[in-house]
Amino acid sequence: MDWYPLYNSLRIALISSVIVFFSGIFTAYYIAKLHPVLKGILDVVLTLPLVLPPTVVGYFLLVVLGPRRCVGAWILEVFHTRLVMTWYSGIFAAAVVAFPLMYRTARGAFESFDETLAYSGQTLGLSNRYIFWRIRMPACRQGIMAGGVLAFARALGEYGATSMIAGYTPGKTATISTTVYQLWRTNNDTLAFRWVVVNVVISAVVLLIVNLLEKREKTSGGSHIHLSGRN
Amino acid sequence: MKRKMVVWFMTAAAALVCMTGCSAEKQEKTSGQQMGKAQEDTRESITLNVFAAASMTETLEMIQKMYEEESSDVALVFNFDSSGTLKTQIQEGADCDLFISAAQKQMDQMDSQADPSVNEEDLDFVLEGSRVDLLENQVVLAVPKGNPAGIESFEDLGTDKLQILALGNEDVPVGAYSTEILTNLGLLDDLEKEGKITYGSNVKEVTTQVSEASADAGIIYATDAYSAGLATVAEAGNELCQPAVYPAAVLNTSKHQKEAQAFLDYLQTEECMKVFETVGFIRAH
Repeated sequence: MDWYPLYNSLRIALISSVIVFFSGIFTAYYIAKLHPVLKGILDVVLTLPLVLPPTVVGYFLLVVLGPRRCVGAWILEVFHTRLVMTWYSGIFAAAVVAFPLMYRTARGAFESFDETLAYSGQTLGLSNRYIFWRIRMPACRQGIMAGGVLAFARALGEYGATSMIAGYTPGKTATISTTVYQLWRTNNDTLAFRWVVVNVVISAVVLLIVNLLEKREKTSGGSHIHLSGRN
Repeated sequence: MKRKMVVWFMTAAAALVCMTGCSAEKQEKTSGQQMGKAQEDTRESITLNVFAAASMTETLEMIQKMYEEESSDVALVFNFDSSGTLKTQIQEGADCDLFISAAQKQMDQMDSQADPSVNEEDLDFVLEGSRVDLLENQVVLAVPKGNPAGIESFEDLGTDKLQILALGNEDVPVGAYSTEILTNLGLLDDLEKEGKITYGSNVKEVTTQVSEASADAGIIYATDAYSAGLATVAEAGNELCQPAVYPAAVLNTSKHQKEAQAFLDYLQTEECMKVFETVGFIRAH
């Protein structure tokens, strides 16, 4: 059994979830401070990939990144590289579909954060950066970690947009999900089944982690007070 | 904010009501017209489900208009995909009256008259006596507009000019023909090893990958290249692959076998062949 799809899937999921982890947190943090109308509009736009079919996302990505389209043509001209049909094309697809999960969860966590803690930090003369990293983030830790894990799981399972912009090239752009589809299509049920088992195991582990995180949050409910009290 | 939301919601609801109201009215009107036409004929109009190879999309949609004008009591519903997908859907119980495959293989796999080495699952879907060879298509090498990679022949696929080649997978008829061509040229193993082949799941997907220049070249049918406005740089002759014949048959699971047969007969008339020929199909012989 050629393990390349597993390696490629993990690589795409890891890179895209790291990108999404930070961009999701910062977007969630800064959007909360915007004017309500702008906030409403941006919120819809940023959450759309969660509810849109992946094929629609794939279509938009192709329209932007395709070698005949604006960004894709420019990159091809300047860097002589194609943004589609390569292994890293999968990162674009996975990042876009996983982003709303991170953004939404982080926003939820930030909204439940007790702002008086930030204010008291300010009265103590702490910088906003210090307050963000040492008070807000630890207090929202569980929510943010759950968001990261969910984003990773979604990125790992991404199929529709990936198959549209990365295609299926064995040993190059093949991921677990595109491999399963291809094997099923070519009547290779035995091998398809093996990949299905691999995928189910990984996803189950990820969900288990989410559940454990939630449990810990429940049992140590007052953790943020304890943590911020330390400062 | 809350009040604004309510206003938005009401507007959306009103728009929705208006839309459904309009369409309901329209429906009434058309059914009224049909009633007038049929007058005492109380027979309900029949829906024929036609499963056809993706490469027939444009031509069958043209023929649909012609046919529905001629026989108003038959409505045609098409399902276009790769013949392999269609075969799986039929096997899994999809409602299908007429099946047109882009290769003999998928039809053979469902024909009890076919060789058991092909019909491995011992399926029996083809209505005896209805199967015909309808059309023939040409397998070609197509390139994006302007041919950025400068690929001029099948032999060029073995050179460094090519980065990505789009093919159908082996379940897609055109994919099987492509494999045959590349094997005959001795290129398949190297291309696969170098990771230069991307596999699509039907011929339209491969066509789009070429027209979007996602791939440097693709092996598709002459008809799809024509419909997508793509340049073809080479045609696969008989020495490279077997002719791409499209068999068609009425299914024995169909509830409207007579009507399906009538439509299949219609497809073989001069009138329809002219439509097929506009995009590059030829009558099977």
